[in-house]
Amino acid sequence: MGMISKIINWSRLKSPWVLHFNTGACNACDIEIIAALTPSYDLERFGVVLKATPRHADVLLCSGPVTKQIESRLVRIYEQMPEPKFVVAIGSCACSGGVFNGCYNVAGGINSVIPVSAYIPGCPASPKAIIDGVVKLLRSLETKERKSGGKK
Amino acid sequence: MLKALFQILIFPGVLFLFVFGLCGEFIDRKLCARFQNRIGPPWFQPLADFIKLVSKEEIIPEEADIKVFKLMPVLALTASSVSILYIPTLAERSAFSFNGDVIVVLYLLTLPTFTYFLGGWYSRGVYSMIGAVRSLTQLFAYEVPLFLVILASALLADTWSLSGMVAFYSRHLGYWFCNIIGFGVALICFLGKLEKVPFDIPEAETEIVAGSFTEYNGRLLALIRTSFNIEMIVGASLLAAVFLPFGLNLWPALIFPFYLLQVLFIIVIITFLRLLFARLRLDQMISFCWRFLAPLAFLQVILNLIFKAVLPR
Ligand code: SF4
Repeated sequence: MGMISKIINWSRLKSPWVLHFNTGACNACDIEIIAALTPSYDLERFGVVLKATPRHADVLLCSGPVTKQIESRLVRIYEQMPEPKFVVAIGSCACSGGVFNGCYNVAGGINSVIPVSAYIPGCPASPKAIIDGVVKLLRSLETKERKSGGKK
Repeated sequence: MLKALFQILIFPGVLFLFVFGLCGEFIDRKLCARFQNRIGPPWFQPLADFIKLVSKEEIIPEEADIKVFKLMPVLALTASSVSILYIPTLAERSAFSFNGDVIVVLYLLTLPTFTYFLGGWYSRGVYSMIGAVRSLTQLFAYEVPLFLVILASALLADTWSLSGMVAFYSRHLGYWFCNIIGFGVALICFLGKLEKVPFDIPEAETEIVAGSFTEYNGRLLALIRTSFNIEMIVGASLLAAVFLPFGLNLWPALIFPFYLLQVLFIIVIITFLRLLFARLRLDQMISFCWRFLAPLAFLQVILNLIFKAVLPR
């Protein structure tokens, strides 16, 4: 069993398919996410592929503060993703609400609605920071797996 | 009995096709990356994708018809991997060749498209329904020219079995040249069959998310991706057998490497084509197929009838 779960874990680390979701960002973070997916950064080296549907995705890239209007949609998209799934909050707003925190229409950072696995600060977070964050997330999963002896 | 089982399950059946399909997908993605000045995915990428998808949780939409939803990917995989048994790979004769197997292969290669339609339709998502209808509409556009040119080639060879065609064309190497229009038409139609750019209208990511496969995930999506890979290999083998029959009258040990080379050659051409063009609209695609490809295919049939009367046999 150990061998099989090791192979499965390896495959998960090597093929994170991402879904990009704007929860209310000012658009700058989204542009940086798209920039990170362009040929000049070549994320396909790590197996990252942008998918358009939550059913195919493993990692949800969220940008921006969660507005009250989009809160329920975010939860719905999160629940449509099959396990195991991870959420990455990109940009200061996604991490904490940022400059929009306390606005009448803002519920807060991503973690006030769904669990978040990695935070990438920056206003906006640069493509290099995003790649660094995703790689660190994958690495932390690897070590966690090793510590727990290949069990989830 | 044992031999037949071996042929179905290992070579040239499911296992060989699965591995070759992964290689084909890798070559396609790597070439695409190199054309865009990228490094591209590592060699194990398709395998990692497959294992990951197989090990994921499976979600079936509440409104979907569970039986059809689950059955269709399996059916697609079966249909596309069975058809290799009629295509010559290891020797001049295929494993189960008989007179008329061209038609069986063409029929088996049409089945996956229908299963994608049914799977998309019964998953009851808006996007998957649109994708399903589009894939069926597209089917009627590319299928006719594809069938016509393959049958034109059969006409010249005067046989309805793929093995017979291969034998004929490797005995008369020059006759390959008669089918050159047909080869071009078949390559373009094949792009439509594989739903690749410029004919990736049924799964246009920017418009309808992922077409028929929007609701599929986990194991079933892995099956669908595998059946697409296998379809690519089988289709390329079919084109290789019909239009590029060099090497099959060679020394027996050389036949198999030659077969691999031919299939890879076709995969590379298809990758070139898909990188060269942008996606067409559905109506543009249909009018292109009926206005240009179908007349060219008819021309090929007429030419082959003339050749048949004029050329020595
Ligand atoms: S972090 Fe900055 S760039 Fe990103 S959404 Fe917030 S305000 Fe915009």
